[in-house]
Amino acid sequence: MTWRRRTQALAPATMRVDWPACQGRGVCAEVLPELVSLDEWGFPVIRGGVDDELLDLARQAAADCPHRALRLIR
Amino acid sequence: MTSLATVEPAPARCGMPFFSPPAQVMVDPGPMLLADLDDGPSLAAHRSRFGGVGAAGPGSAAPESVEQLAQWAEAVGLAGRGGAGFPFHVKLRAAAAGPRGRRPIVVVNLAEGEPLSGKDTALARCVPHRVLDGAALTAGLLGAREVHVVVPRERPLVEESMALAVAERQAAGERLAWRLTVVGPGFVSGQARAVIEALSGRPGLPVTAWQPEAVSGLRGRPTLLSNAETWAHVWAVVQRGPAGYAALGTSSEPGTTLLSLPGADEASVGVGTVAVVEVELGTSWAAPMGEVAHDVPVLLGGFHGTWTTASTLTGMPVSRVALRDGGLALGAGVAWPLPPGVCPVDVTASITAYLAGESAQRCGPCRNGLPALAAEVGALARGVSADYTRIEHLAGLVERRGACAHPDGTARLVRSLVSAFGDEVAAHRAGRCDVTRRDLTRPEVAQ
Repeated sequence: MTWRRRTQALAPATMRVDWPACQGRGVCAEVLPELVSLDEWGFPVIRGGVDDELLDLARQAAADCPHRALRLIR
Repeated sequence: MTSLATVEPAPARCGMPFFSPPAQVMVDPGPMLLADLDDGPSLAAHRSRFGGVGAAGPGSAAPESVEQLAQWAEAVGLAGRGGAGFPFHVKLRAAAAGPRGRRPIVVVNLAEGEPLSGKDTALARCVPHRVLDGAALTAGLLGAREVHVVVPRERPLVEESMALAVAERQAAGERLAWRLTVVGPGFVSGQARAVIEALSGRPGLPVTAWQPEAVSGLRGRPTLLSNAETWAHVWAVVQRGPAGYAALGTSSEPGTTLLSLPGADEASVGVGTVAVVEVELGTSWAAPMGEVAHDVPVLLGGFHGTWTTASTLTGMPVSRVALRDGGLALGAGVAWPLPPGVCPVDVTASITAYLAGESAQRCGPCRNGLPALAAEVGALARGVSADYTRIEHLAGLVERRGACAHPDGTARLVRSLVSAFGDEVAAHRAGRCDVTRRDLTRPEVAQ
């Protein structure tokens, strides 16, 4: 494993919202309440990076978004 | 002083910042970008004084490669002048590093949506070929064939000047595909991604950028998009050579910057007149600001900027580093002292309401959060709300939650009101305005 790949593996993944695409349906907050809450208008507020144990749920949240507005960025 | 023609009928706003493009832009001759204005804006005059595209002046040589230009830009610390101050050499190297066969595209952005700014207008009207030469020489080094010139719908004189300048270059047989595009209207229409959307034939509104424009921009190609002033500086670095360029400014911050200030004509202050001046970095703010009382509020950087006082500014040099250390930012170069008797709380409320209305309405937090924030700041200005925690909460809720920095800039303005003018804010919360000497609980007897 190269140095570059190792540092990438160590950096936590993050969830990124495509804000113009997001319509505030709130599915992400249901799938991943550990990281996602909703603001007073129903749009996601994401707290921090995605730890390894939440990676599967984070992928699920991104896949379940009805507007494909959530991405997992590594 | 060169006086430019009227852009729009003047809105009468009694010293408040205005919300449409300046009715008049006045330009002072400057040391570099705005030198030799008497030549006029024609290509013939430009060529006779400075020679061909990318020609270096006496005592220096033209750059031979993108990398050499990047090294020069890095050596003189050339930062983007559209507002964000991103290092030009980083963008340039990124655009040059694209895959072979993906020819880069160059974009000259003159779409200044900021009503208090007149610098791109000044460059377009007075020295358009210094701007276009910077783009053309860079396009040549990059192997780019397409150069887009983007002008704002609200400022028809900018379109007129640039259309003429592009036509002159085409008539002269320049081997570049020049394309003029009108974008806007709107405060956010000059944002980089919004410009690329407009150039792509879609609505010119901000969208999420998964990659920098210099990596993947227009039609997926590396796109080097920079502000008009940035391109003029690129021209100046090449024309004078990096050492000649660095003869102006300071050793740590070489060169000059354009500033937009209230029109110097006393009678026209606040009715839509912007004065554009070019100052060397490191000079005192006292010179461009002129005679201003020390406690006068100054809006620095425009509507997305920060509040400070004239005494804070005049105690420091015109310097991006000094401003950053002081928690301030030059943004696109606006420095706007308020006239006597105008309250920064009232002005912030007006600007916040305007900015909420300028949301592209695409991103939920901006679409919902800016009107809510504007309502709270408006209530504070009218002395009918003492709940400052709600303002802080809303400012935090819109930041970093949009495709562009419009909500971030709005939150920055509101936050800086409190840090710079806490006393005035406290007075409004207590139901009075000490600047206008009003009892806010009895607005009907306001003087």
